[in-house]
Amino acid sequence: MTNASTAPGVRIGDLTVVYKTQAGELPAVSGVSLELAPGSITGVVGESGSGKSTLALSLLNAVQSPGRISGGSVEIDGLGDVVGLRGESLRKARGRHIGYVFQAAQNSLNPLKTVGKQLLDLGRSHGVDDLRGLVREAKELLGRMGLDGARVLDSHQHELSGGMRQRVGIMLALVLNAHLVVLDEPTTALDMITQATILRIIREVHEERGLTTLVITHDIGVVAEVADRLAVMYGGRIVEQGPTGAVLGAPSHPYTKGLIKAIPRLVGSLDEARALPGRPPTLATVPTTGCVFRERCAERMDVCDSDDPPALAHGDRIVACHAVGTSEPAQLQEEVA
Amino acid sequence: MITGQAITKTFKQRGNVLDSREVRALRGVDFVIPKGGAASFIGESGCGKTTLGRIIAGLESHDTGEITIDGTAMSSLRPRDRQPYFRRIQLIHQDPYSALNPTRTIHQTLNAPLALRAKQTGRSRGWMDERAQEVLSLVGLDAGSVLGRYPHQLSGGMRQRVVIARALTVDPEMLVADEAVSMIDVSLRLGILALLKDLRERLGVSVLFITHDVATARYIGDDGELYVIYRGQVVERGPVDTIISGPVHPYTQSLLSAIPVLHGLEEPGAQPVVPTEALDESHHDEGCLFARRCPFRTGKCESEVPVLGLGEGIPQEHACFHPERRAVVAQPAGR
Amino acid sequence: MSVTIMPEAGGAHATLRRNFWRGVWRVMKRKPSRLVGVVIMAGFAFMGIAGPLLYPAQLPRDTDALYAPPSWQHPFGTDFEGTDVVALVVTGSQYVLLTAVITAVITVVLGTGIGLFSGFKRGRWDTVLMRVTDMKLTIPGLPLLLVLSTVWKFSAAFEMGLVLGLLGWGGVARAVRAQTLSLRERGFIEAARGLGLSTTHIVGRELLPSMAPYIAMNALIAVTGAVYAQVGLFFLGVLPFEASNWGVMLNTAVFGGGALTTTAALPYLMAPLLAILLLTLGIVLVVDAMDEIFNPRLREE
Repeated sequence: MTNASTAPGVRIGDLTVVYKTQAGELPAVSGVSLELAPGSITGVVGESGSGKSTLALSLLNAVQSPGRISGGSVEIDGLGDVVGLRGESLRKARGRHIGYVFQAAQNSLNPLKTVGKQLLDLGRSHGVDDLRGLVREAKELLGRMGLDGARVLDSHQHELSGGMRQRVGIMLALVLNAHLVVLDEPTTALDMITQATILRIIREVHEERGLTTLVITHDIGVVAEVADRLAVMYGGRIVEQGPTGAVLGAPSHPYTKGLIKAIPRLVGSLDEARALPGRPPTLATVPTTGCVFRERCAERMDVCDSDDPPALAHGDRIVACHAVGTSEPAQLQEEVA
Repeated sequence: MITGQAITKTFKQRGNVLDSREVRALRGVDFVIPKGGAASFIGESGCGKTTLGRIIAGLESHDTGEITIDGTAMSSLRPRDRQPYFRRIQLIHQDPYSALNPTRTIHQTLNAPLALRAKQTGRSRGWMDERAQEVLSLVGLDAGSVLGRYPHQLSGGMRQRVVIARALTVDPEMLVADEAVSMIDVSLRLGILALLKDLRERLGVSVLFITHDVATARYIGDDGELYVIYRGQVVERGPVDTIISGPVHPYTQSLLSAIPVLHGLEEPGAQPVVPTEALDESHHDEGCLFARRCPFRTGKCESEVPVLGLGEGIPQEHACFHPERRAVVAQPAGR
Repeated sequence: MSVTIMPEAGGAHATLRRNFWRGVWRVMKRKPSRLVGVVIMAGFAFMGIAGPLLYPAQLPRDTDALYAPPSWQHPFGTDFEGTDVVALVVTGSQYVLLTAVITAVITVVLGTGIGLFSGFKRGRWDTVLMRVTDMKLTIPGLPLLLVLSTVWKFSAAFEMGLVLGLLGWGGVARAVRAQTLSLRERGFIEAARGLGLSTTHIVGRELLPSMAPYIAMNALIAVTGAVYAQVGLFFLGVLPFEASNWGVMLNTAVFGGGALTTTAALPYLMAPLLAILLLTLGIVLVVDAMDEIFNPRLREE
């Protein structure tokens, strides 16, 4: 734990998470590899059932039964492979090393306790000796986010607006000095202007404190605003990842293309917007062989029915699609053979 | 045509006996929605846009003001006689999960309003079945595979289509879509929006779209009118594209500036406006309601009340003493 | 997997009903305990209906064997007069069960009706009805029954059930009202109002089915409650003596036979207790399935 005070890098390798159902164990995340560079903000975009929240929970090794991590690793600098952590050491790692802002953090505060009391509970459960220091740190963080720290700590949940609660959530994730932060849907149910403020705060706090940040969202706009790198999830896989601007500007995977086309725009011709046919798969309807996206794909080929496309590097990105880069000689030969 | 004049609504919040707060949800709103036309109410949560939508759909009463449907003033009718008018204005809920009764099949859900119509007009069972198939095909669903199902067996997008189909059973004149796609998966949203647009074009149903997302409002009807609502008051009103390309009210500008920029595809607008944070301002009713958050406020804004109207060579109506067109919206990159 | 229903068929309702019962069967099969519960309840129903017919109106007495220990002839021994205890339990079940069913029906019908009306109408009706309910909830049941027993013999199950039912609906009414208040804000109720559907339709077809699991559960729990209540009353001797009532059996076993101090009357005490326990168990096992039966999502899965 030598470098716990600097932004850690995270390497997720071939991670598979399965859920036990009546139809057997079904993968919610299958064979996902993703690297979070130290000090970067990575955005994971996906629709419901894409496995994005499960992936985020895996970072904490917090997948709840009936789900379990069935394979792969999550290496975090200074912590090692989180998948192997159990019991007390795992609990310590959460909060100390990894800060997590839960989905709907606006509603995840205890309505019966003031924010300050909850902060102290958090400190005690992590064995913090200097509780005064903790409160001071919390006030500073809240102040940094434009709130009156003393007042907020004295408030109950119902006395705070949605945007204020979200900031409290971020404060609680950071106050133990975690340098890896996971934000699950940080702006859902917030108003436009509040959303913009929160996104700005995420970006600023990220830079000032030297964090590695992972943002999980269904909203491409959110990722576009804050993330350096973008990973697109579909049916439990990362189908495309790369620098945000590059992926948005020139998407490679047919799903990414379709998703971007399906967003109505403020300027330009309305006819450019195109709906994606079909609907996203659920745990039970994800195809077990072949490409998970083929049912909705405009570039479907025969090989898509039989072979799951591997995630291959194409320049600055990694794409899992048979139709991308087929002109490369090596793969052409493979197809001929 | 549906119009409203000076609609007001005040909610009394029950605190204790001594401290009963009043929340002015609507402070005199005028609107006109032409037959087959489109209109959008834009604003943040709590601005009154949803309340106004519910009043228009007849699900809520208003305090003062007048709603006129096809030339008939609603205040001239007894409550019982208003119902046939309001029935022609159907609300599409935000949440397709609670909008359908989980214990009833789609067939039962569609049949209830159809049976009522059949009884009133003396039509047969066969007509009901035909009509059920018809409305389902209008919303792009296959009757054979949907009718016998329960809501939980359908995806969010399909449920929202069923909700729209149910609204169509009464031949509505207008659909009021309250954040109708915000709970639907991103890749399916455009399908629902396209459906509403299509219903406008094919059936001549007018659509009132209530949302915080200006881009979706534009998609439904770029020929329609945009009403920007702030704290129960329309602060800017005009054709959608006019307002997007040159908003004049600082609140509209703040809203449009807050829309995320798709870097790589777009470049941010040249003159973004960032308001100061929303404070607890419900008690401050003097002057311009937005003044306390407005970066351009002057002394006049804090004492005098701006009225919605035209002026100073600006094409859209606005309620601001210092209107100025600003380029706040992101533009396509590269071109 | 799913069944396609032809929309033109007037038989759609029949299909729906068939699917419902098929679903109920599926739900019951899911846990063996539920089937056990159903078997127990069916057994009690049979006992209540046909039981008394199996025995002569005047049960035979074996005066040589008072408080006889269990034997093949008398599995639970005999009572103070030498009557077979099993015969007493079986013949006594009719009064007990009939009372319980009547109580449950009255409790649920009154409670649901008042709760629904109050929650749906709101306003003045709600205020008045809930005041009445609150007042009713404050009536102490036991003293009232004591008073009533001085003027009423309660020899018919109907009278007993009526009184217990009228005393019991308050809680259900309050709970149903609370559920109605929350359901009426749901989108589908609002949509039904917007479509101009009648109040009868909204209450009967939209609200009621959503509360069905809750109501069914309350009905079953009311059955156990009514059994406890009346057995308790007879046990305490508040109500007139009636030979083959479970409560009276308990009373005579304890106060007459001294079942708490000697072993002789123990089987006599145990028999009605076991019957009550078994009935409660059967009901508890079945209640567990109610949510899944009335919720299509849980039913079909």
